[in-house]
Amino acid sequence: MKLPRKKLTASVPSFAMGDIGFLLLIFFVILARAQDDSHVRWEPAKLKKVEMVASPLASVTIDTGFKNYLDGKEISTDALPAALSKILGDTPSGKRYVFLKVHKEAKAVHFEPIIAAISEAGGDLVHILEPEQPIPSR
Amino acid sequence: MKLKRGKLLVDPPASASSDIAFILIIFFLVCAAVQPETGIAQVLPKTEEKTKKQDQSKNIEVSITPNSIVLNGSPLKLSEFPLKLTAALSKMTRDEDRIVTVKSAPNTPYPLWIKISQVIEQAGGILTLELESDRVINVE
Repeated sequence: MKLPRKKLTASVPSFAMGDIGFLLLIFFVILARAQDDSHVRWEPAKLKKVEMVASPLASVTIDTGFKNYLDGKEISTDALPAALSKILGDTPSGKRYVFLKVHKEAKAVHFEPIIAAISEAGGDLVHILEPEQPIPSR
Repeated sequence: MKLKRGKLLVDPPASASSDIAFILIIFFLVCAAVQPETGIAQVLPKTEEKTKKQDQSKNIEVSITPNSIVLNGSPLKLSEFPLKLTAALSKMTRDEDRIVTVKSAPNTPYPLWIKISQVIEQAGGILTLELESDRVINVE
C-alpha cells in the first residue's frame, strides 16, 4: 500500500513585505535628501503675483548671513558658474531650472553676482518668492 | 470546588510592528510634505561683456536706489513707474528697442528689485542688468 505524502506549501512570508517597504522608503528618503537645503536659513521676499514653479535641477540660496549655497553646500560666487554648469549638463533649454532663494534683506551687491553666475551657466532662473497676502479691508 | 482559570497573556504580533512603523512613516511624510514652491521665472539668455556701446542711448534706463526709481533720468514714485514705463515702451516696436537697462545701487533691497523687474516684465520690456563689473545680463 502506498501512503500519500502530505503536500508541503512554501509561501513567501507576507509579514516581511512591511520590512522590505520600510527599507525601500528609507533608501529613497536618503536619496531625496542629497539635494536638501532645509538647514539653510532664509526668508523669502513677498510679491503680489507669483506662480507655482516646476522642480529644479539646482537650488542657489543666499542665507540670512548673505552666504551663498548650492544645493545646501556653501559655495563662493566665483565657483558657482562652473558648479552649476556641471549640474545642468546637457539638459535642454527650458528645463534647466535653477531656483534662486534670496533672503529678503539681501542687497543688490549680494544677489546680482549670483544672477550673473546663473546666467553664465545657462540656467533658467526662477526666483522663489512668497505670495503677498492682501490686507483685509474693514 | 471551582478551579480558577489562569489568565492568558495576549501579545500583539511582533510581525505587525514593522507594518505599523511603515504606516507611521508614510503618515509623517505626508504631514511634513514640502509645500509647493512659488515664484517667478526669468529667462537669462546670456551674460556678455559690454564691449560695444551701440544703441545704448536708445534703451530705456532704470536706476534703482533704496529710496528712488529713476526712469531715463526722471525720478519717479513706485506707483507712477508702471504707467510711465508702459508709455515709454508703447512707442517701441522692435524687440531690441524694448530692452530696459537696470542699474541698481549696491544697497538696493531685493524686494524692491524684484518688484521693479516684475513691472518691467509685465510692461513688455526685456530686462537687462548692468553690473559694476561691466557685465551685461539680458533677462527676458
